[in-house]
Amino acid sequence: MTAVPLVPPAVVLGAVVLGVGLLERRARGPAARRFFGSPAAALGLGLLLFFGLLALLAPLVAPYRPAAQIDIVGLQNRPPSWHYLLGTDLFGRDVFSRLVYGGRVSLGIGILATLVSVSLGGAVGAAAGYFRRATDAVLMRLVDVGLAVPKIFIVLVAVALGRPLTPVPLALLLGLTGWFATSRLVRAEVLSLREREFVEAARALGARPWRVIARHVLPGAAAVLVVSAALSVANMMLLEAGLSFIGAGVQPPVASWGNMIADARDVLATAPWTSLFPGLAITGVVLALHAVSDGLREALDPQARRGPPASVAGERS
Amino acid sequence: MAAWLLRRLVAALAIVFAVVTLVFFAIHLAPGTPFLPTGDRPLDPSVEAGLKARFGLDRPLGAQYVSYLDALAHGDLGESFSQQRPVSMALKEAVPNTVVLAATALALELLLGLAIGAVQAAYAGRRLDTLLTHTTLFFYSLPTFWLGLVLLLVFGQELHWFPIGGVIDPVLHQALSPAGRLLDRLRHLALPALTLGLVGAAGTARFQRAALLEALSQGFVKTARAKGLTETRVLVAHALRNALLPAITLMGLALPFLLTGSVVVETVFAWPGMGKLAADAVLSRDYPVMTATTLAAATLVVAGSLLADVLYAVADPRVGRERPR
Amino acid sequence: MRRLAPLALIVAVACTSRGGGSCHGEHCGTVVFAAIGQPATLLPPVTDHFLDRDIFDQIFLKLADVGPGLNTVGDSGFEPQLADRWTWRDSLTLAFHLDPRARWQDGRPVTAGDVAFTFAAYSDSVLDAPEHINLAHIASVAAPDSATAVFRFRQRYPEMFFDAVYYLRILPAHLLRSLPLRQWRSAAFGRSPIGDGPYRFVRWDPGQSLELEADSTFFLGRPHVRRLIWRFASDLSVAVTQVIAGEADAIEVLVSPANVARARQATQLALYPYPGSAYLFVLLNLRARDGSGPNPILGDVAVRRALVAATDRVRMAQSVFGAAAKVPPVPIPEFWAGLWFPDLPVPPYDTALADRLLEQRGWRLGSDGVRHRGGRKLAIALAVPSTSPARRQYAQLIQEELRAVGVEVKLDLMDNVTLEDRVRRGAYDAAIQAWANGPRPSFDLTPMWVAGGGQNYAHYTNPAFDRWIEAATTARAPAAALRAWRAALGVLAADAPAIALAAPDNVAAIDRRITNVRLRPDSYWAYVRDWRIAPDRLIARDRLVR
Repeated sequence: MTAVPLVPPAVVLGAVVLGVGLLERRARGPAARRFFGSPAAALGLGLLLFFGLLALLAPLVAPYRPAAQIDIVGLQNRPPSWHYLLGTDLFGRDVFSRLVYGGRVSLGIGILATLVSVSLGGAVGAAAGYFRRATDAVLMRLVDVGLAVPKIFIVLVAVALGRPLTPVPLALLLGLTGWFATSRLVRAEVLSLREREFVEAARALGARPWRVIARHVLPGAAAVLVVSAALSVANMMLLEAGLSFIGAGVQPPVASWGNMIADARDVLATAPWTSLFPGLAITGVVLALHAVSDGLREALDPQARRGPPASVAGERS
Repeated sequence: MAAWLLRRLVAALAIVFAVVTLVFFAIHLAPGTPFLPTGDRPLDPSVEAGLKARFGLDRPLGAQYVSYLDALAHGDLGESFSQQRPVSMALKEAVPNTVVLAATALALELLLGLAIGAVQAAYAGRRLDTLLTHTTLFFYSLPTFWLGLVLLLVFGQELHWFPIGGVIDPVLHQALSPAGRLLDRLRHLALPALTLGLVGAAGTARFQRAALLEALSQGFVKTARAKGLTETRVLVAHALRNALLPAITLMGLALPFLLTGSVVVETVFAWPGMGKLAADAVLSRDYPVMTATTLAAATLVVAGSLLADVLYAVADPRVGRERPR
Repeated sequence: MRRLAPLALIVAVACTSRGGGSCHGEHCGTVVFAAIGQPATLLPPVTDHFLDRDIFDQIFLKLADVGPGLNTVGDSGFEPQLADRWTWRDSLTLAFHLDPRARWQDGRPVTAGDVAFTFAAYSDSVLDAPEHINLAHIASVAAPDSATAVFRFRQRYPEMFFDAVYYLRILPAHLLRSLPLRQWRSAAFGRSPIGDGPYRFVRWDPGQSLELEADSTFFLGRPHVRRLIWRFASDLSVAVTQVIAGEADAIEVLVSPANVARARQATQLALYPYPGSAYLFVLLNLRARDGSGPNPILGDVAVRRALVAATDRVRMAQSVFGAAAKVPPVPIPEFWAGLWFPDLPVPPYDTALADRLLEQRGWRLGSDGVRHRGGRKLAIALAVPSTSPARRQYAQLIQEELRAVGVEVKLDLMDNVTLEDRVRRGAYDAAIQAWANGPRPSFDLTPMWVAGGGQNYAHYTNPAFDRWIEAATTARAPAAALRAWRAALGVLAADAPAIALAAPDNVAAIDRRITNVRLRPDSYWAYVRDWRIAPDRLIARDRLVR
């Protein structure tokens, strides 16, 4: 327990501002300069770092255990105060501590699910685009099937089959069902890359296909992958929030930003701080991820700047 | 064109078929018997065997699959555990509600999204464009259900402009004139459609702005400008028309989002559609309903993307044969 | 002043032209009840959910019902329903004479054959009606002629009459006889019932609403309120909001102090406090989930007592229901005040005691903060209905309190119908239950806790308890009955097959235009057919004719 709970987050914020500022000053190379040339991207990066650090340092930053019911009678739904920065909820828990720990879960699920979905989507897309013919046909039809079922339905079926999932299996499940769109993007990229001279040269030298893909093709598709990953984290976080809201996501007492809002829905009017702050946190991080991905796309691939953003509506959950 | 359409139709059917197969095996191979979800029912064995026989669970999986398909072909989706009636009946009530909600939201999303996108493209780089970019990004980043909860609180509970959930007024509706009934439905539809539509519109606007800017930079637009046409005319007559193609693609892509979003939005607004049916089915471990809703969702998505393909082909004859992805 | 209806609705009502005309006078009125969840079925013997009962009690009559004084001894205060009079032929034989005016809503007369049919159905083990054990003292029901139903009892006791009439909702034999009992749970009749009560079934839009219409020819007097509508909300807060916003007229319990405060501010609402019949408790399953034997964790009485000792029931009740909430010694409602013995052996809130009990039984604290014994974790799945904010709240409070003594509680959220189904089948560890009881304790406690009871979902068996309950049921002298009760509840408290959480007062909120409102603790809407809306206070939905 910290005497002044405001100090740790302020320190983190200061560190982030300083860090981003330093990065920006040190930024060399055209890509980095293009990225920091956009204030939105720099701000987004700062926001991500802020929430990321808060989550990482949760035990140091949060004054209370996230599930600790400090006083179930005397501290119910209290507005923000010096001791409870963001107020307390129905159970007399510190909303700030829950937000910090909830960030671990929400961001963690978003990142883990994205790692799975981007690796899978990258591999499948690369294979389809590189080998073409039957491989391509089979894989892409599979992707068609995957895209035909709204993700949330697959997840709901899976949740219903077993007991409610803990965060890690939930993240894996989201990742396993979330790679279809990524694989399409990567495939399109690989289709054009494989005709490039350096790839043909590598092939002519007799390199094995997966070696060519790993060494020569995928690095070329890195821009697509990175941008798509940033958006995927955002989408996964929104999906987790939605699942938690309908009771199929992260189970109490573990806090996630989604189930914090769900828990607070009955007191939305009378104790707005209990749902406002987790809501703002999700929105803020998703916003930041979009800003960063826009920045990244412009930085990594300035020619494609005019193309529609990768965040097409169908991708959002 | 006819052959192309036929091919697309066959592909669509194949996808739905694949989804059925996938869901069927996922559920039947999962631990525990699907019709007695917990698998630890202290029933006397004869009753359990009877139940299994009744649902055909005592036969080999392959045979079960065949008869499931057979029943499906006859429109039989099994019986709901929690509602104690045929799934098809529950689905028949839910699907129209979802379709109405999704269609309204889609219309809102496209109209609002295209308009905002066009305004942004017209004012590209100026303050209005920046403002709209940030606004749309903000809406696009909101958790759908949170937006729904806030709209419900403000416009339903506090201002009483709209009802607190439901599809129709349970008391008055039957007695209203046709116009009154429509109005009643619209009043109930407003908030959920707005919730889905606003988030969707934000996505559409972002997409449309970029597509328009790309179109504006192309040769034929430059020619039009050179001919001395006004900027508005250029935007509307040339660029917008060309940018409509991606909007059609977008429409096909928007359907999964609308259905996904509808799961939470229907829960917020007590809207008895497919999403709420599916969510309730999860909470009651009602497998037949879950299978059926997944299937229906897949069918709607595939139909939507097929429709988008057809519209695309109609709008752009060049793409008659093979639509680029 | 009433809140103004939204402008759009006024316009919509103004557009009303279909059906034509509007209702004037005494027998108009539409009452909209805000309900949580929706009924499973409206066929009485197969369901014991509150909501189902609230609705089917408007459709089906009993032979007679307890009066407002809720007397259960002898027949004093009982009000005739289907039977216009009754006579004791001897000390064990009771004959009911059916009111010749009683009719099924399809026009057929109600006969003694229907009564005999109903008794047979209720006491059949295949149907497994929840409270069938209460009929155990009744040997037979015969129908010597179509207007006389004769009950034969096995023994003499003070509350024989109550047992004969309170539970049985008489069913139409001519409509149900051909239906095998096995199929009753999913019978179409349960979705569009035909009864003999003041209201007839009109429609049920699943997930939305259910409508009943007054039977203007009802033989006990035409109901004033013409139409009853239950509006199904997904949870309590939505239901309360609907009542406050004027979209519904009545809700039977507001539950939380916050809701009471909100309702008080709505000027169109009148609040009706009445003695609580409902109580909350954690039901513990003493049998393994697969029915193979005792529950490996909860089968141990020391563990159960430790769980009771580890929960601060008083503070939890204050947290959920406000400062005035009371915690009963065992799961019983507030209005059984006579049974709230202060000196029952209920484990006090004492985490040290809980720790000690668990240690003694070999449950050792592991490095994960959870106790283990021989490779088994001290983990309990707690089933919680997603529709009840109060019970959801309790679930998280309990989870945190038990964590402190090294018990891991996993919350298993599900809809209420599913939860009740699981509990009924024994497929659960622990479940948060909310029950409402009738006026006669043994009538409700016997099926719940006696070995073989139809509602003994805890699978609790203790012959000592059964003996005391039997003694309490059959004792002739009030003092002897009370002694037996104290002994019975003492056994129950010591064995702890449940954690009693709270027995809150009820506060109903009902629109002020509705007058002559009476509420009965054991059956909230029992007097709806006496409710009245004065002709000059009718609002649009009251006048509406379809």
